[in-house]
Amino acid sequence: MSTLALSHVTRAAGETLPARPARIQRFTRETALLVGRGLRTIPRVPTRLSDVTIQPLVFTLLFLYVFGSAIHIPHMSYQNYLLPGLIGQSLAFGVIGAGVATATDFNSGVVDRFRSLPVTRLSVITAQVVGQILEQILGIAIVAGMGLALGWRPHMSPWGLLELVLLILLGLSAFTWFGVLMGMIVKSSDAMQGIGFAIVFPLSFLAGTFVPISGMKAVPRVIGEWDPLSALVAAIRSVTQGTPAQGSWQLEHPVVSMVGWCFLIIAICVPLALRKFRQSS
Amino acid sequence: MTTNPLHTDELVVVTQGLTKHFGDFVAVADFDLEVTAGSIVALLGPNGAGKTTIVRMLATLTEPTQGKATVCGYDVVRNADAVRSVLSLTGQFAALEDNLTAQENLLLMARLRGYSRGPARRIVEGLIDRFDIGEFRDKLIKSVSGGQRRRVDLAASLVVQPRILVLDEPTTGLDPRSRQVVWSTIRDLVARGVTLFLTTQYLEEADALADHIVLIDHGRATAAGTPNELKARIGDQRVDVIAVDATGLDKLIDSLSANFELAIARERRMVSIPAPNDLADLNLVTAAVSGLGSLVDEIALRRPTLDDAFLALTGQSPDTVRASSDVEEAQV
Repeated sequence: MSTLALSHVTRAAGETLPARPARIQRFTRETALLVGRGLRTIPRVPTRLSDVTIQPLVFTLLFLYVFGSAIHIPHMSYQNYLLPGLIGQSLAFGVIGAGVATATDFNSGVVDRFRSLPVTRLSVITAQVVGQILEQILGIAIVAGMGLALGWRPHMSPWGLLELVLLILLGLSAFTWFGVLMGMIVKSSDAMQGIGFAIVFPLSFLAGTFVPISGMKAVPRVIGEWDPLSALVAAIRSVTQGTPAQGSWQLEHPVVSMVGWCFLIIAICVPLALRKFRQSS
Repeated sequence: MTTNPLHTDELVVVTQGLTKHFGDFVAVADFDLEVTAGSIVALLGPNGAGKTTIVRMLATLTEPTQGKATVCGYDVVRNADAVRSVLSLTGQFAALEDNLTAQENLLLMARLRGYSRGPARRIVEGLIDRFDIGEFRDKLIKSVSGGQRRRVDLAASLVVQPRILVLDEPTTGLDPRSRQVVWSTIRDLVARGVTLFLTTQYLEEADALADHIVLIDHGRATAAGTPNELKARIGDQRVDVIAVDATGLDKLIDSLSANFELAIARERRMVSIPAPNDLADLNLVTAAVSGLGSLVDEIALRRPTLDDAFLALTGQSPDTVRASSDVEEAQV
C-alpha cells in the first residue's frame, strides 16, 4: 500500500524521495533517529537529569552518613547493604522518570507530529523506551561509581557481573515500559510526578532498601515481603554480595522472583502501551 | 482569496457521515465534506466545535467512531500509512522539539522521511531560505518567538511537498504581523499546487484565504459556501451602541427600535444594528441617539464577527453557554 502512495509524493525541493526500504530496516533507522533526538536534548536540559543523578547521590550520602550510623546489619558493612538497595531504588524510580517524560512528550504535540508521518509507529514508542533506559543507565552508573568510591565492595565473579548487568537491563525494560504506559494513561506530567512518587517512594522504602525487612513491624513487613521492589533489591543484593534475604518465598529466591516480576510486567504493559499508543487521541 | 491554476475536480478529501464520540460526548456528528484538488477549504467555528477532532481523524491520529473518510482515495483507517504519506498536518500547537534548534528540527523531519544526510541537508537549506528562518536557525525552538515557531512548524510539514496540507488554527495566538506572514506563506503554497484544508476561529481569516468555507458548531456542519455567498447571507458591517448601564440600555432600545432592526446583547449592555451603507448608517444611528449622549458609552462601526455569522446563518450564537450568547433578536 505504501508503494501506491509514493506516486503522489512530488517535488521535495528537487530531491527525489528515496524508495522505502523493508519495514524492519525502516523501524531500526527511525528508532535510531528518534533516540538520537532524545539524547541530543539531554545536555540542554540538565534539570531533567537531576532525577537520575542528584537524587540518588543525596540518598547515598544521607543514608550512608546520617542514618547509617544507627543501622547495624549483621555480618556486613552498611555500604555493602545499602548500595545494592540504592541501585534497586534507582531502577524503581525509573517508572516516574519514564512516565513524566512520556506525559510531557505526548502533551507537547511532537509525538502527534511523528505519528502523522509515514514512519512506523512502533519506532516512536520504542525510541521513548530506549531513550529512557539510556538515561537510567547513566544514573545507575553514577550511583555505583559513587558507592565504589565510598567503600562499597561487591563480591562477584565475572559471571556475576554479567548476571547483574542482565538483571538491571531486564528491570529497566520492565519498569520503563510500565512508566511509559502510566505516562500515557495519566497524561499530565505533574500528576504523573505526584502519583508516581506517592506509590514508588514508600514501596521502595519497604523493599529492604535501607533496613532489613525482617526487622520491620508486622504490617510493613508483610507488604515488604511481597513488594515487587523487594525482589528487585534482594536480587541485586544476592548477586553483588551473595547474601539472600529471608522472610518470604520471593525473598529466598530473589533472582527467580525478580525475573518473574519483570516478565509479568512486560507481558502486561507492552501490549497495553502499544494499544494505547495506537488509539491515543 | 487565491485562485489556483491547478484547481481540478479531483476529490482529495471526502468524508461521509464522519462521527466521533468520546464516551457520551459527541465531538463530531455526521460530518460530510468534499475537498477538490487545488482548493482552499476553511473549517470555521468556535473553540470546542469539533474542528481539531476532524483534523485529527483526517491525519490518522484518531479513528472515527462511525462514518468514513478518504484522503486521495485512501481510507484513513484501513490505509492509514498511505494517508500519512500524502497528507501533512501542522497542528494547533507548534509540534517541534523545544530543545532542538530550528535547523535540527527540520533535519530530523527530513531524515524521518527517509532522506540520508546529504539530501536532507539540501532540503533543509531550501526550507530555511523559503521560510526566512536563517537568522534564528541555530536558536533552540523554546527561545524563538511564536511567529518564528509557526514558520519552522510549517516548514517541517513541507519537507516533502504533500498533496494536501492540513493547518489547524494556523494563526491562533499570533500577532497581526506574524499572521500576515503566515497568510502569505499559505497563499504561496497554494500557488504551488498544494490543496489546503485549514481550521480557524476567525471569520476574517477564512474570508482572506479560503475559496470554500464550512461553518461548524457542536460537531455539526451548520452552513457552507463561498466567502461571497456566506457574506451575502451574514450581512454587512454593524454599528454597535454600548450603554453606560442597564437603564440606559432600555432607553436606547426605546428610541432606536422604531427605525432600526436591533440585535440586543444585554450582558454587554449593547444593541447592534446592521449597517449596509457603512458610514451613512453610522451617521443615522449617531443622529438617532444624539439627544441621549449621556447614556451612550461607545458607538462603533465594526465588521461582522464569528458570532454574527453564526447568528445570521444558523439563527443561534455558536456556543449557547458562552456569556456573549445572551443575544436576542428584537424585531419591531
